[in-house]
Amino acid sequence: MDTILSVEGLEVEFATYGGTVKAVRGVSFDVTRGETLAIVGESGCGKSVTVQSLMGLIPMPPGEITGGTATLNGKNILNLPPAEANKFRGVEVGMIFQDPMSSLNPTMTIGDQIAETLKVHRGKSDQEAFKLAVELLERTHIPEASKRAKQYPFEFSGGMLQRAMIAQSLACNPAILIADEPTTALDVTIQAQILELMLELQRTENMSIILITHDLAVVARMADRVAVMYAGQVIESGTVDDIFYRSSHPYTLGLKEAMPSNTDDRDKSLSPILGSPPDLFKPPVGCGYCARCPYAMAVCAEHLPPTTTISESHEARCWLHHPTAPDIEELHQLDDQNAG
Amino acid sequence: MLAYTLKRLFAGVVTVWFIATATFIAMHQVPGDPLMNDKAVSAEIRANLEAKYGLDKPVTEQYFIFLGNMLRGDFGISFTQQNRRVNDIIRDHFPISATLGLLAIFFAATGGVLWGALTAIYRNRLPDIVIMFLVILGISVPSFVFAALGQLFLVNLNSLFGQSIIPVAGWGTFWHMLMPSMVLGLGTMALLTRLMRSSMLEVVNEDYIKTARAKGLSPTRIFFKHQLRNAILPVITVLGPQIAAITTGGFVVELVFAIPGLGRYFVQAVQQLDYTVIMGTTVFYGAFLVMMVIIVDILYGFIDPRVRLS
Repeated sequence: MDTILSVEGLEVEFATYGGTVKAVRGVSFDVTRGETLAIVGESGCGKSVTVQSLMGLIPMPPGEITGGTATLNGKNILNLPPAEANKFRGVEVGMIFQDPMSSLNPTMTIGDQIAETLKVHRGKSDQEAFKLAVELLERTHIPEASKRAKQYPFEFSGGMLQRAMIAQSLACNPAILIADEPTTALDVTIQAQILELMLELQRTENMSIILITHDLAVVARMADRVAVMYAGQVIESGTVDDIFYRSSHPYTLGLKEAMPSNTDDRDKSLSPILGSPPDLFKPPVGCGYCARCPYAMAVCAEHLPPTTTISESHEARCWLHHPTAPDIEELHQLDDQNAG
Repeated sequence: MLAYTLKRLFAGVVTVWFIATATFIAMHQVPGDPLMNDKAVSAEIRANLEAKYGLDKPVTEQYFIFLGNMLRGDFGISFTQQNRRVNDIIRDHFPISATLGLLAIFFAATGGVLWGALTAIYRNRLPDIVIMFLVILGISVPSFVFAALGQLFLVNLNSLFGQSIIPVAGWGTFWHMLMPSMVLGLGTMALLTRLMRSSMLEVVNEDYIKTARAKGLSPTRIFFKHQLRNAILPVITVLGPQIAAITTGGFVVELVFAIPGLGRYFVQAVQQLDYTVIMGTTVFYGAFLVMMVIIVDILYGFIDPRVRLS
């Protein structure tokens, strides 16, 4: 496998008036060429902070990367000197955000904003850059691209703006596209179109995507591999099938229980995960999920569970995988279903 | 854009008409008249004077004569300054006030944008705290105090060099304009600094600034291309009325620095109930203010595309 991005033990903290928030506590993942990695988790679990700290987009101070390494194509990308960081951001990684309506400068035409990247990083002339910007807009299927390029963000719909954002992020052919909840602010039909576009561009550009979302339906549709985050840690990671059919962490099970389904058991009432995530001002010593976990044991509150390798592609952080832990029926039932 | 401009111009004409009418009514509601001076005037002379100035006619007729003359650009003859036309008073003295005012606005706008941006960049650090303290001072201390302090400074400066480097008062050269325009612009500069600061702080947290950083742009480029243009919009909005306010409201500074501007005549006319001068200058100032607001609105359209097209 051709690993492009490799993150090891990333730790991010924010110094606030109330104390230090340990937002990311040792996150590791790899992204290989052409694949989509989905990072899933509830609000505040650190998924956005993880990618934003990789991009150098968290404000420092108060934010600080306190540990870990991250390499892109073998080169370190954390705490780069400003000029190199800018090069890396604009050229090697593209990023799109949650709310396309506010993510583009309201006083610049769409074409100029896309052209700006090309002018700064590729040294193109004004006309050349604008022409390329129009081509990029065409590639993201914006009709009448040459006319639209001369328009301002307020003349675009939300879906069109997200297409323009994607066009902008692709300007320098990045190796990775980071999409931070790209469809959360869009309605469902537009959401489907944007996801379709991302998949299409991924195939044609052979680019990797890191998709941040809390929508499991989006994950199922888009992802090759999934990392489930909770309280600043990756608690389970694996292929999309590993996560959905062979869930090995009670939190992942809980997320699935809380998700509506349209198959045979659709009359079953949804069961929410009770309680709330731990306070990251004082992160728990043991497993972050143990206060909400129906299977919690004494050891869970006192010791951080080690990462257990379940299969070649599948890892989970839970004491239930320890040889001496009791058998949990739910985890096995699912295994059986898939075996059968 | 043309329709927008025409619409704004039409609204401006209506506003000026309203100002003229309101001034006319107010003038004729005030007890006393311009002929009722300390000198006792006999009934005959009074009748003659009233006939000369058209005060013997019914008020409605006077109003239409006034409007008619105004449309032809004629504000009549002053009551108190013999045979001096109001147009001449404005023509002689307004350019002085306008020069002073525009120079003051230039100081205020460049200073306001600069200091505002600076305080936003150094938010809550020493430069911010010092500048914001000075801003409070600039807003709360009246201009005649700064005017006097300014003169004192010039006196000391000149005596330090043993010769007059910068004149302390009067009018004529650019050096005469320097201190009064800075004093006049100070309050506005303080106001614009505050406005610019809050506007900058708002823009810094906008999503599109994050996008600009994700695009890998340098901080300087983000500042000039993305932050400044968006942050400057509210500053430009208040600039129009501020230009008018400074140009017309500079009479205190004009008085302290002995500058022969229009402000002095305006105040004098009000004290002496000089109908024609009051109405002439008020309508003129009103029209000037309206014009400035329109110019700023049109300028705004160039900077913010959302205004242009809606």
